[in-house]
Amino acid sequence: MQNPEAEHHSQPDSSPVNDLPGRFAQQRPQRVRVQAPQDASLSVTRQPPEHTAEEFYVRQLIRSQLRLACAVAAGLLALLVGICSLLVFWPVVSDIELFHIPLPWWVLGVGIYPLIIVAGMLYTKAAARNERRYRSISRG
Amino acid sequence: MASLFSVAALIVVCVTTMLIAFYGLRISRTTSDFYVASRTVRPWWNASAIGGEYLSAASFLGVAGLIVLSGESGLWFPIGYTAGYLMLLLFVAAPLRRSRAYTIPDFAQIRFEDSALLRKLTTYLVVVICWLYIVPQMHGAALTLSIATGLPGWVGPIVVAVVVCVTVLSGGMRSVTFVQAFQYWFKLAALVIPTLFLLARAIPEHAASERAQSLSTQLESVTTMNMYETISIILALLFGTLGLPHVLVRFYTNPTGSSARTTTVIVLCLLSAFYLLPTTLGVLGILYTPELGAANESDATILLLPGRLLDGVVADALTAIVVGGAFAAFLSTTSGLVVSLAGAISQEFFNGTVRGFRISTILATALPVLIAVLTSSLALAGAIGNVFAFTASTICPLLLLGIWWRSLTAKGAIAGLLTGAITCGLSLSVGIFLPTIDLWWVHLLRQPAAWSVPLAFVVMIVVSRGTRRAVPQNTDRVMALLHVPDPSSNS
Repeated sequence: MQNPEAEHHSQPDSSPVNDLPGRFAQQRPQRVRVQAPQDASLSVTRQPPEHTAEEFYVRQLIRSQLRLACAVAAGLLALLVGICSLLVFWPVVSDIELFHIPLPWWVLGVGIYPLIIVAGMLYTKAAARNERRYRSISRG
Repeated sequence: MASLFSVAALIVVCVTTMLIAFYGLRISRTTSDFYVASRTVRPWWNASAIGGEYLSAASFLGVAGLIVLSGESGLWFPIGYTAGYLMLLLFVAAPLRRSRAYTIPDFAQIRFEDSALLRKLTTYLVVVICWLYIVPQMHGAALTLSIATGLPGWVGPIVVAVVVCVTVLSGGMRSVTFVQAFQYWFKLAALVIPTLFLLARAIPEHAASERAQSLSTQLESVTTMNMYETISIILALLFGTLGLPHVLVRFYTNPTGSSARTTTVIVLCLLSAFYLLPTTLGVLGILYTPELGAANESDATILLLPGRLLDGVVADALTAIVVGGAFAAFLSTTSGLVVSLAGAISQEFFNGTVRGFRISTILATALPVLIAVLTSSLALAGAIGNVFAFTASTICPLLLLGIWWRSLTAKGAIAGLLTGAITCGLSLSVGIFLPTIDLWWVHLLRQPAAWSVPLAFVVMIVVSRGTRRAVPQNTDRVMALLHVPDPSSNS
């Protein structure tokens, strides 16, 4: 889909420099429009696949990124479903209280968020490492 | 008196939003050219904008309401909304940014150039999802306005629709990143201030040992959801976030794939910080306004709490702040959705012309207003949970398999999308009319995500296997485009 507003405002863009008086005209930074790609740029060149080393490295990269993402996602799911079933099958946990509020409320209301953030940070680092490895291999 | 403050807050929020929309373009020209900037927008700004757009009526009012309604189970909703972003980070953020796709139909077209049908189908799904998502925002507006001012219910949706239409039609959405980044912080402040005041009042009261003893009893007394429902909701929220149309558009302003990842991690922090507040307010709601849960008005919890705990001008001012924040939530989410929706409609029916975009904008806002006025509100967070279940059963498998599985075919994708949309849509619409009885098949119908999401995945995979020859020729190149790191980034 094209970005409709880009068209919408194309009028002032067509002659941005002429709008400005005198010497400011020179100083005005060039406008770059961010817009949705036109249909032409959406198509990716269509040639028979090349079975080169490059192709192989890309597959390796995809596989390692997918393995990483699945590992983190599985961990997250296991954690959430685990907590959920723990609360159902072992309700004694609710008897533990901190400042008169039952433990499950602390875990669900506060405790899980730092874990999610840490998981996100670790994943970002590991994903960047995978990409670095790909770059060094594909260059060398 | 109370309503006077609230009306003033409402007017300030609406007028500010429109002013920023009108003058945003001019401001951005004289200071730093905003759209140049948006390519190098710092991840912090971008993340604030994503947060601003994502935190809707369901988050602002609904989370606290759901905690009052279903106690401990309500806590899973904000966890799901946040963890959904983690899933987005893991599977979608960087590849989708690199794909140069602006919307989900764009992605479908990049992956399967030849299938006009798939693009059309995803467009229709996006339209349905946006509408389903806008309606609860309108319900929230109706509720907020009638509680705060006593005006009839239809005024709220109309106010939101008019402001959104004016903003979008004036072309002001160009500065949308700017507006929404501010709206995140505004919404945060609109909950931080009342929470602090209310806690300052409630904590000394509860320190008296007798009431403190009753605190945990009260928290435990609320009936919770059963295990199947909880797990189904967790799945819906985790996988549903991946496919939200207005969320995906935001990733386009990240300069590279790896900066899209950084942005998402910051979004995780912002969402976590935000959700502590409705959670706290929900706990206060169980203590001070427990009767709202029984009366099915629990979404009003945050609006009524200040009046219940405090009195005089302080209570009125705090209520007004909450009303302002709530309207900021309705406006930001709705305008984001309307832009996605109007874009999709105008592309599909009006060849993407400017005039078509304008007509589509009006269509995109008018229909949800009509639906919202004619129907009454489910629990807001629950209604949004249903939308997530629908997205998780349709768009999510398309994106996940499209990004990570080279053997996906257009036919497989279409079959999976249709299966997910029909099964999930049907069971949700049947489920609405069923009474809340404790039978296994009622639970299955009311919370379909746990079976409809795997079903959609399985159908997509099986049909793709069956049509193995139809894998597009350029798949390897598309995959490389999605996954090979951007040349300029040095991380």
